[in-house]
Amino acid sequence: MTAEASVLDTARADFERVLQRNLKGLGYLASPAPVPGASAKDVIVSRGPWRLYHYHPLVDEVYRVPVLLVMATTNRGYVFDLAPGQSLVEFLLLRGYDVFMVDWEAPRPEDRHLGLKDYVEDFVGGSIEEVAAVTGERDVSLVGYCMGGVLSVMWSALNADRGPKNLAVFTTPVDFKAMTMFQAWSDPRYFDVDQLVDTVGQAPAEMLLTAFDMLRPAGRAAANFRLVDNLWNDEFVKSHRMFDRWSNDMLPLAGEYFRETTKELTWKNGLIEGTLKIGGRPVDLARITCPFLHVTAEHDHIVTTAASDPLIELVGSEDKEQVVLKGGHVSLIAGPNAVKRMWPKLDSWLGAKSV
Amino acid sequence: MSDPAALDPFGFMRNWVTQWEKLVNDQGAEWLAKPEAAQAMQAMSGAAVKLQAASNEATARMLAAANLPSRADVEALGARLAAIETALARIEARLPRSEGAQAKRPAPKRTRKPPA
Repeated sequence: MTAEASVLDTARADFERVLQRNLKGLGYLASPAPVPGASAKDVIVSRGPWRLYHYHPLVDEVYRVPVLLVMATTNRGYVFDLAPGQSLVEFLLLRGYDVFMVDWEAPRPEDRHLGLKDYVEDFVGGSIEEVAAVTGERDVSLVGYCMGGVLSVMWSALNADRGPKNLAVFTTPVDFKAMTMFQAWSDPRYFDVDQLVDTVGQAPAEMLLTAFDMLRPAGRAAANFRLVDNLWNDEFVKSHRMFDRWSNDMLPLAGEYFRETTKELTWKNGLIEGTLKIGGRPVDLARITCPFLHVTAEHDHIVTTAASDPLIELVGSEDKEQVVLKGGHVSLIAGPNAVKRMWPKLDSWLGAKSV
Repeated sequence: MSDPAALDPFGFMRNWVTQWEKLVNDQGAEWLAKPEAAQAMQAMSGAAVKLQAASNEATARMLAAANLPSRADVEALGARLAAIETALARIEARLPRSEGAQAKRPAPKRTRKPPA
């Protein structure tokens, strides 16, 4: 091909993209965002902010040990089930797992008193009891994401005698002093958490969203530019809209829960220092002895590897593994990067341990 | 010879935005991590919370004067409803599972083995 022909082809392709950008841009403005949630499910529990789902199996034969996903408390669980082909839930169902998920709703004003003990013992622990009642199996594999991982680790440490059979967590912070931005913003000299909780009753979702946005001040503007640049690409636009909707769909946190996590984890670094007690019982991560997997993301700007790395040393399990995968805090668990890297890793680790 | 990439009107912007994003993220994060930034943010946030507290108090007085239920009254009602929900959930949990939606589908066999 001559150089002139190559230039002409490129110009034609660019013109086509400009045209598509304009045409599809109009369509973008006129159409509603795609509805996330791909897999059929039963709602087992719906109480206060606590939801427990059981997904309908997609195969005739499943592993004996069910899987319980635990979502981060600031976000909704549909990031695990965005759309067919982009759903960790669907992936696990097709690989033969019986899948449950702890999801969250916005706490109501009367839920302001819910604290760490409620989230760990009643919601995570209660979900495990419900899973046992539904499946008839006492064993369960707990799989937690971010703060969902923290809750899973806490429950496992407090209940080492009852399980879980396997514990896998993703991007789970344990050294809160290493989360330097959150440390700076919640400096007790300037941040009066008691005043906020006593007045508002919860940590407002807008405040949390602003804090996450400020970790990358230019992130939102740059993402919007990339959306315009890629308006011609239907897959990019669909994916952008789903992730954008999810990341903006933040949940407020119940007042006492926010107060306790701020004081006990962010300020006192209770998991590392060994000072954290839940319901009067010390949370000693060395008591966790079940098979343990920790997956972290190389470019995680929310839970940096410095904050998550020490977990593997603290856990008492002999069968334990940490894997650092390419990707960020969200792309680790959903999207093309997750489909290629994290999901197969989880399946290969969990399958042999689920019989 | 012309550079084909130079014909893309978004090409220049793409590079510029990438560099701008890195610069703003790095420098912005550096500034936002300073105690002065935290102090300023929390001062604004604290003032908003104090304003809300004052507004809550004034509204509560108005509602009391009008003999209407306050936020605390509504929250108390909500808490009682939540307690009823919890009791209902406990009762529901004691019902045989066969009456629920779970039993309508045949349960899969739990005998799967990982691929060799």
